[in-house]
Amino acid sequence: MSDISVQIGPVRFKNPVFIASGICGYAEEYSPLVNLSRLGGVVTKTITMLPRPGNLPPRIHELPHGMLNSIGLENVGLDRYVKEKLPQLNQRPDVGVMVSVAAETEEEFIQLAEAFAPMDGYAGLELNLSCPNVKGEALDQGRNPTLVERITRIVKERIPKKSLWIKVTPNITDVGVVARAAEQGGADAIAAINTLVGIDFDLETGKPVFARGSAGYSGPAILPIALQKVWECSRAVTIPIVGIGGITHIDDARKFFLAGATAIQVGTTLYNDPALPERIVDALAENPEWIHARANPAHAATRKS
Amino acid sequence: MCAQDAFVPARAHEFDARVLANIRLSTRYFLLRLERPRDFLEPAAGQFVHVAVPSLDDRFYLRRPFSIHDCTREAIDLVIVEVGPGSQALRRAREGDRVRFYGPLGHAYPVLPHKRILAIGGGVGLAPLYFYGFRAPGKIGEGYRLLYGARTRDDLFLEHVTLEHKGVGLSTDDGSYGFRGNVVELATAIMKEEPADVLFSCGPTVMMKAVQALASRLAIPHYASLENRMGCALGACRSCVVPTKLDGGSPYRTVCHDGPVFDASVLQWEELPVP
Repeated sequence: MSDISVQIGPVRFKNPVFIASGICGYAEEYSPLVNLSRLGGVVTKTITMLPRPGNLPPRIHELPHGMLNSIGLENVGLDRYVKEKLPQLNQRPDVGVMVSVAAETEEEFIQLAEAFAPMDGYAGLELNLSCPNVKGEALDQGRNPTLVERITRIVKERIPKKSLWIKVTPNITDVGVVARAAEQGGADAIAAINTLVGIDFDLETGKPVFARGSAGYSGPAILPIALQKVWECSRAVTIPIVGIGGITHIDDARKFFLAGATAIQVGTTLYNDPALPERIVDALAENPEWIHARANPAHAATRKS
Repeated sequence: MCAQDAFVPARAHEFDARVLANIRLSTRYFLLRLERPRDFLEPAAGQFVHVAVPSLDDRFYLRRPFSIHDCTREAIDLVIVEVGPGSQALRRAREGDRVRFYGPLGHAYPVLPHKRILAIGGGVGLAPLYFYGFRAPGKIGEGYRLLYGARTRDDLFLEHVTLEHKGVGLSTDDGSYGFRGNVVELATAIMKEEPADVLFSCGPTVMMKAVQALASRLAIPHYASLENRMGCALGACRSCVVPTKLDGGSPYRTVCHDGPVFDASVLQWEELPVP
């Protein structure tokens, strides 16, 4: 069995295949179907300081080439996550857990980081600075490079031994600028991308299908967009990039490595094909050279320093 | 019902099963019979399987949840109504084709040996109520009566099985068969003559709302099986939630994992969408 482990910041993950945030809840939910310990890790549902009820249903809408969701960061809040959910996963120390967190203010990010700082049983944090399904500042954070750098720094300072990933939004003109800001702030990786903002209408009612109107678009339709954003990030930063968006096949994962990713996350497809992440792990174990595509000179030549 | 308080993962497995038969039942309904995989756990009435649509094109499909209509040692029967591209693709599945699914999932109807149960179904909502009465626990006519309403005679897809059974009552909106009117009117009339202790329902939201109104009026328990679009069907993605009177950080509960069968008194019926 070849070594396909990857180093992201201070943490070594057993392989570069993860499940994306929001897909598998707090992870334990998927344990009947996915052997979580075979993956590089799972990124949990986004945790906020206080519990959030989430958006009014309906929350999910299938389209011919993808899916819109409007969950609205429903989560149990920091206290219950730390008391109930994280210990559940800690009974299985072989599962790599990246905890996704979001906050409305810098002060809240500090509180979250300080709460996680003394804890064990997780590999790092992924900052969700770009959820399209909530009101307020949350989306704007990811659009503002100054803020991204500041938030990244205040969190990283508090968890120096953990891996810190910044999840970026595709809903901006220049993702490279935001990625660079995260790198400046001390991020260990850029996670690209979050969902695209989309909308659909019900022809019978004449209204948007979701109460909030706009929603997050994911699934196979966004693959080329995600690849392009990863490509753009890989030319802007030197830290690892975790590629996310539209993977439905092993070949799609390969393309992310070619675009410059060090690791990948499988998202929406898990609903249809829960075995895909493990198949990708198997394929990478047989072809470890796929992972290191970013190091190849042809790609390096096109990278801006 | 309070799965948020102590989450217990589903005991589901992923299967790749052979299609044994695909039978048209009426203009809109068909029965998909899958070979029962050896490791498929014994399902209870109200549980469902999450079925991957066999896609022959590049279209993206979420899985489709289907309540188990019947389950023997050899086969799992699903009754499906043709409404969109997913159900149409499943309608095209032929004997020998393979279909991936996982299950059985979700909370079932309670087994209440000493209670008189009146079950009220509409449309494909017949599936779990049929399973309960005719398979497990299987007390049709003995403490379990089943009323089924359809638009027209054509939609009474199981009349060949259930028509003459003493435990079964049928209604059609147009009066083309059985009681003329909706099935809740039939239930109301029957409750006057032969009361039940508990109501079960599964069908269109508007029908289940009317059953809940009847249950409130009579002050008896009502268990309703809900339907919703789902992502994971494991309680993870929070896509299929419905509003309830429960708290615990959120009033929402998942149809897939906290349901699909709920004690109807905890649901916020006025906020449930009526498609």
